[in-house]
Amino acid sequence: MTDQTLKMFVFLSDLLNRRVVTPYGQSLGKVHDFKIVLGELFPRVSAVCVKKLTERQIRILDWREVETINGNLLKTKGAQPALLPTLEVKEQEILLREEILDKQVVDTFGAKIERVNDIHLLMTDGELRVVHVDVGLRGIFRRLGWSKLVDGATNWLFSYQIPERLISWKFVQPLAEDPVRKTLKLNVTQRNMGEINPSDLADILEELDHQKRRAVFGSLELETAAEALEEVVPQMQSQLLDNLKRERVADIVEEMAPDEAVDLLSRLSEDKQVRILEEIAREKREVLEKLLMHPEGKAGSIMTTEFVTLNQKLTVAEALEQIRRDFSELEVIYYVYVVDKLSHLIGVLSLRELLLANPSATLEELMFRAVKKVKVSDSKKKVLNLFRKYDFVVVPVVDKDNVVKGTITLKDAIQAAIPEFKKKR
Amino acid sequence: MILERLARSKLLQTRWRQLIIFLTVMGPGIITSNVDNDAGGITTYSLAGAHFGYAFIWALIPIAIALILVQEMSARMGVVTGKGLADLIREKFGVKITFYLLMALFLTNLGNTISEFAGVAASLEIVHVSRYVSVPLAAFLVWLLVVKFNYKAVEKVFLVASAFYISYILTGFMVKPEWGAVRGGFLNPQVRLDATHLAMLVALVGTTIAPWMQFYLQSAIVEKNVKLENYKHSRLDVIIGSFTVNIVAFFIILVCAATLYKHGIRIQTASDAALALEPLTKNYATYLFAFGLLNASLFAASILPLSTAYVICEGLGWEDGVNKTFAQAPGFYGLYTLLIFLGAVAVLFPKLHLVPVMYFSQVINGILLPVILIFILFVINDRKVMGSYVNSKFYNISILTLIALIGLCSILLIITGI
Repeated sequence: MTDQTLKMFVFLSDLLNRRVVTPYGQSLGKVHDFKIVLGELFPRVSAVCVKKLTERQIRILDWREVETINGNLLKTKGAQPALLPTLEVKEQEILLREEILDKQVVDTFGAKIERVNDIHLLMTDGELRVVHVDVGLRGIFRRLGWSKLVDGATNWLFSYQIPERLISWKFVQPLAEDPVRKTLKLNVTQRNMGEINPSDLADILEELDHQKRRAVFGSLELETAAEALEEVVPQMQSQLLDNLKRERVADIVEEMAPDEAVDLLSRLSEDKQVRILEEIAREKREVLEKLLMHPEGKAGSIMTTEFVTLNQKLTVAEALEQIRRDFSELEVIYYVYVVDKLSHLIGVLSLRELLLANPSATLEELMFRAVKKVKVSDSKKKVLNLFRKYDFVVVPVVDKDNVVKGTITLKDAIQAAIPEFKKKR
Repeated sequence: MILERLARSKLLQTRWRQLIIFLTVMGPGIITSNVDNDAGGITTYSLAGAHFGYAFIWALIPIAIALILVQEMSARMGVVTGKGLADLIREKFGVKITFYLLMALFLTNLGNTISEFAGVAASLEIVHVSRYVSVPLAAFLVWLLVVKFNYKAVEKVFLVASAFYISYILTGFMVKPEWGAVRGGFLNPQVRLDATHLAMLVALVGTTIAPWMQFYLQSAIVEKNVKLENYKHSRLDVIIGSFTVNIVAFFIILVCAATLYKHGIRIQTASDAALALEPLTKNYATYLFAFGLLNASLFAASILPLSTAYVICEGLGWEDGVNKTFAQAPGFYGLYTLLIFLGAVAVLFPKLHLVPVMYFSQVINGILLPVILIFILFVINDRKVMGSYVNSKFYNISILTLIALIGLCSILLIITGI
């Protein structure tokens, strides 16, 4: 564009259907769509899609060929070929009207799905950039051509104007799919979706239609996918995994907390279970297989195998060092379990006590000896009663030789007792 | 021997599996169809029976087929795309067309809701309950059901309500119809082209295939999250539903034909029919009939506003769902509440005549239906949306014929109405 200093905001709905003309007055058709290239924070329009009334074919005009957008016209710089090249959309390109306008997008900041009523563009330095999507009522009225009427009415009646609801493009993840890879065309980076809280992400997944759901799930990083999978309703878990490659399913299951992974696996057919387990690294697989063997309804079937055990002879400083070294993978640490040299459970310390204690004191001096614990074969009911009676959030699970095999959190216990607690419907 | 038994048990197992899958998928089709037998429907069927005897029962067969054809499309779109009809129309046609379409749907469904509350009022006036008591109470109950409970609970209540339609079938046997004449009604269909017969036929079609059903059915199927491989179960659900509507309709016509028509009693409403049954049958037929009307009206009075609120929120991209709270989805609950409120209040106006209200709501139904069907055809034949599940040519021709017929009927209805 020639006028390099011009800066102005404009809505996509205002630009569509303008007539495209050359400086010599030749009409090339109407503005049908805009193509942008993803990757930048506020992506640039790279081309204008032009359509003639008499033609089915959509043709393309490079943005560098655009001189001005004025009145109802879009003027090109010079003469154009009688037939512009036909439209092609590459991997990292998106059509604004076809794939964003009137479609659903994920607002990664507000962590929900919104429907796009309009797109807000900024004309600056001769470039047209996407800056916001409009998801508000105002956008709807603008497109209906009622803006003035509604503003007049609300002003007169309530001295009020319906506010704009704009979402910055950097928080917008379009749901347009890459036709070949069947994953989303990602805005900015993959981080975007990963920053959504897993349970919000699960809500988003549940709300989407199955095709979009698959595409979104397929685009998530492993860790995010595993966390989201833990949160979705059980029926949807297996559905999400159904269409994935076995290796990816195994990778995701491997990322999940062991108790959640076992929950998931135990709902699958034996056949599927075996095939997924085959793909999982040996160490983790053995853990899962052991957990899977515990009969339903017993403490062993709801426990997780992530916990910290430390030798009684260690000093506090050594203990903290060992936690940093060996247990950094654990999702949460509430307590450390103190064991003798034969791994028998002899005491417990909360992380708080450990942090506040004198670094040279040994664990056996500090530990609380009367540990409340359950056996692997104890019933779920017994576990629940223990939680009801005592004020702690995690209970250790031991085998018949008093060796720690796992832990049960209060949340696990509640989920086991009240299945509805997990499901939202 | 053992192998044979094993094979048989395997077969039995797969049959059981199929049945269980069907039971989980079942619901949307049957519920939608039964809501279809609402206050307006029952009135129309009663009129058909009372004024024309068995002359119209043949029409129930083509109506059932048309109903299956139309609803199957909605079920298919729901299963294949996982999206509601308003979603699909918005994505294909943009906000402008969608908005005006939704406004038309809102007005139509408001008309229908009014006629449901009129049904509640009429049925309880038979047992001498004033409408100033029954209607506010019914409105409150219906409102509470959705605002306070989740979808699964609501669906269960609806399925139970569907079962109550059996009261019409019971009444049908109580009045001892002449089965010979019934057979004659099916085997020798009389098609007369005079104004009164045509208007009746139009009303029958119009009341059985209504525009809101397409939206509701599709959304309910999406909510169920039916897998593509279980689509055949959804289709069966739709087929069973479509037949039950027509079986219930058949018995209502039967009751009125065997009693009122035989004695030459003219009626104007369904509650007229219930009252007129009293001296003729000397049994509980009146109360059964009235109970059926109450159940149907209540049932539809909760589903219609619900489906309307869903559809509008879906199309405009607002938060929706019975599983959300008022604060999370103000637009959804606001619309739902508004529809119930307006519907109930309208009935309480002393000067309002209920018969023209019902008639008017059927007329706008009839005008909107062909429009919606045309939109459905555009969407369902789009390969980008439906993939290989687009309509066959034969299917398209059948639906186009149906659109033409309904369009013609609606025009006739307006003309005869004036």
